[in-house]
Amino acid sequence: MKNTTLKNIKLGAFVTVGIALFIVAIYLIGNEKNMFGDTFELNALFGNVNGLQSGNNVRFSGINVGTVEEVIITNDSTIEVRMIIESDVRKYIKKDAIASIGSDGLMGNMLVNISPGNGNRPPVENNDYILSYSRIKTDDILNTLSMTNENAALLVSDLLKITQNINEGKGTFGALLVDTVLTAALRQTILQLNNAAYNTEQISDNLIKTTEKLNEDEGLLGALIGDRGLTKKLDTIMENLTNTSDYLTATSSKLETFIDHLEDGEGVVSMVVHDTVFVNDLKQTVANINEGSARFNENMEALKHNFLFRRYFKRQAKKQNKKFK
Amino acid sequence: MTETGEISRFAARFFKEVFKPPYEFRELLRQSYEIGWNSLPLVGLTGFIMGLVLTLQTRPTLVEFGAESWMPSMVGIAIIREIGPVITALICAGRVGSSIGAELGSMKVTEQIDAMEVSGTNPFKYLVITRVVAATLMLPLLVIMADAVALFGSYLVENLKGAVSFELYFSQVFEFLNFGDVIPSITKSFFFGFAIGLIGCYKGYFSKKGTEGVGKAANTAVVVTSVLVFILDFIAVLVADIFYEL
Amino acid sequence: MGQTLYQHIDEANEALDRSKAVIEVENLSKSFGDNHVLQNFNLILKEGENLVVLGKSGSGKSVLIKCIVGLIGIDSGKINVLGKNIPGLEQEELDRLRAEIGFLFQGSALYDSMTVRENLEFPLRRHVAKFGENVDSLQLVREALHSVGLEETMDLMPAELSGGMKKRVALARALILKPKIIFYDEPTSGLDPITAKEICYLMLELQQKFHTSSLIITHDMECARITSNRVVILIDGQNYAQGDYRELENSKDPNIKAFFK
Repeated sequence: MKNTTLKNIKLGAFVTVGIALFIVAIYLIGNEKNMFGDTFELNALFGNVNGLQSGNNVRFSGINVGTVEEVIITNDSTIEVRMIIESDVRKYIKKDAIASIGSDGLMGNMLVNISPGNGNRPPVENNDYILSYSRIKTDDILNTLSMTNENAALLVSDLLKITQNINEGKGTFGALLVDTVLTAALRQTILQLNNAAYNTEQISDNLIKTTEKLNEDEGLLGALIGDRGLTKKLDTIMENLTNTSDYLTATSSKLETFIDHLEDGEGVVSMVVHDTVFVNDLKQTVANINEGSARFNENMEALKHNFLFRRYFKRQAKKQNKKFK
Repeated sequence: MTETGEISRFAARFFKEVFKPPYEFRELLRQSYEIGWNSLPLVGLTGFIMGLVLTLQTRPTLVEFGAESWMPSMVGIAIIREIGPVITALICAGRVGSSIGAELGSMKVTEQIDAMEVSGTNPFKYLVITRVVAATLMLPLLVIMADAVALFGSYLVENLKGAVSFELYFSQVFEFLNFGDVIPSITKSFFFGFAIGLIGCYKGYFSKKGTEGVGKAANTAVVVTSVLVFILDFIAVLVADIFYEL
Repeated sequence: MGQTLYQHIDEANEALDRSKAVIEVENLSKSFGDNHVLQNFNLILKEGENLVVLGKSGSGKSVLIKCIVGLIGIDSGKINVLGKNIPGLEQEELDRLRAEIGFLFQGSALYDSMTVRENLEFPLRRHVAKFGENVDSLQLVREALHSVGLEETMDLMPAELSGGMKKRVALARALILKPKIIFYDEPTSGLDPITAKEICYLMLELQQKFHTSSLIITHDMECARITSNRVVILIDGQNYAQGDYRELENSKDPNIKAFFK
């Protein structure tokens, strides 16, 4: 009899522990899914949700605050995302907060990022709709910018090499003396470089101004650029652009001096044409430079047409028009 | 084929009689103790080792991809969805299935089943129903225990190799778990338990005369149950997919 | 010598002539596939009688008593136990009837997983109502064990008992419900001759003590001689011959003589 009682106690303990573990597991999962505790509903409309599913996390400034409850297609170009958010964070999410689709790491799940809005707007209500933007467009902008940047850097390093060589008096400048076509091409290049440098400088200046302005500005763009990561990215790009234009300016001025020297006929006699390879190199480089600066201008043109900066450039054009008048 | 039919009839008889009084509660408790508590050390040990090994084996690959932080959720999902239930079911098919098969087989051979019948106790109720019900109820609990122990084993490895805190580890495990992972896994454990009990009882209850018959009953009980566990698992995955569209 | 040896049989037979039948088997047939185990078997067990069914191994003796208690379904025929037709009974009625029946199995069939006491209590689980509401099962177990002389084994497991002790415990289990009829399936099989004889005398003693009728199946002639009031010889699934032990012992029929060699 005692034996049976002991067995029943053990069995009871086993069953209790098992069920308790099960309940704890269910509770923990439910907790992760915000099924318990106070929550409220928040909605956002997107054009593209990039594979977001119900159950994905919602982050507010990088902190998990809720989950995606439902992703509904409302019409052919709009997708409504319903989110369940912990009530505690409601007071921090203002009416002008921006929702965006992001991903958790390289291979991670999709998630919704909510960027805080301006501090002086009232907090969101239950069932509110907040603004959204698709990060794809920003990505495109950044890609264009960094490609431009890379091209410019390439161009500059080539130029530097050449000028260095030339200034050290290496190679065959007799050829250059005779070859007026080359000289003319060089002049052309320098002109273009100058142009490019000016453009770059202007654009980076403009970008800085835009950013500053945007930072102060309200509305969608302001909020967008207010996103710390993006701003930082843009800053870096602009810094690079400025550097590039500095280089460009330096290089072109060097080239100019050099050509002036050539025309003055200094040290010409000692330079005998031996190195055809170098000449070819030089020709190639000049061609590269031409191509590069042309592309650079193209990129800049593209940037001008990008929606973000369109407004700014338009304004710029108007100003110039005014000046002419 | 004829066997499938026989087993189905046996199962039908089970369902016909399971809800009819009188209920054999004391015997049910005794069997639950036998199947549940007495399987615990074996199931726990296997679960623990599974957790250790799975983590040790998976870790280098994930480290290579720099996805170490995925470890807890990956191991968690693997254990809870598949490894926990199936390993536990196989262990129990071996331990419980064979012991039920052998016990009922030898009771059949030594006329103990007949003796029960003439004592006015329905041996089907007393022997079969209690064991099948006990196995059906105990297996999910054993699976939960095995899951818990396996996750703990996995955590130990993670903690030693990567210094992850207990809290972080388990919060990561549960972050990626859905009800769609846990509920089907527990549900299929019930079916595994039912299969283990039913096949063990069937083989024992209809075992041939002689000691050879008893051995064969125990042996075929294990074999058939193990195969059935895999078939059921496959069906369970299909059904769960339909329900949860994962 | 002969006179004293068979005296109890004579006395019993006189009483039996006036008593009614507790078991009537008519034209019982049972076959397993092509193996016709029982064919038109007839048998009557009277109240208070010890009937021994003699037969070779595999002659269908065990099948016969399992048919009578309803463990095996029959092909055709009538089985009437205590006025109830066995094949036509519902499970519930059958169970109720079984409270009046004790069965001693060939291998004792004690439940291995239970103690002696639990073994004895097992039949009481269902049929305790027979003894009224406030019955003390422990008291009944003690009584039954006392009657077979094994009170001290109450908390032992069957595996700890010797073959003879197991038989006694099984006998106690068969007796605990104070049944009207006891079936003995090879009560002496697997026992040494001395123990076998002890068991046979015990059966006789208990039969007189509890006033039961007994159907004994055996191929042990010594057992048959000690316990029988009447003997039925089962050959080829039929009631080949019946009579008291002395009659059959002196029979000229070679088939019957084969048993008494």
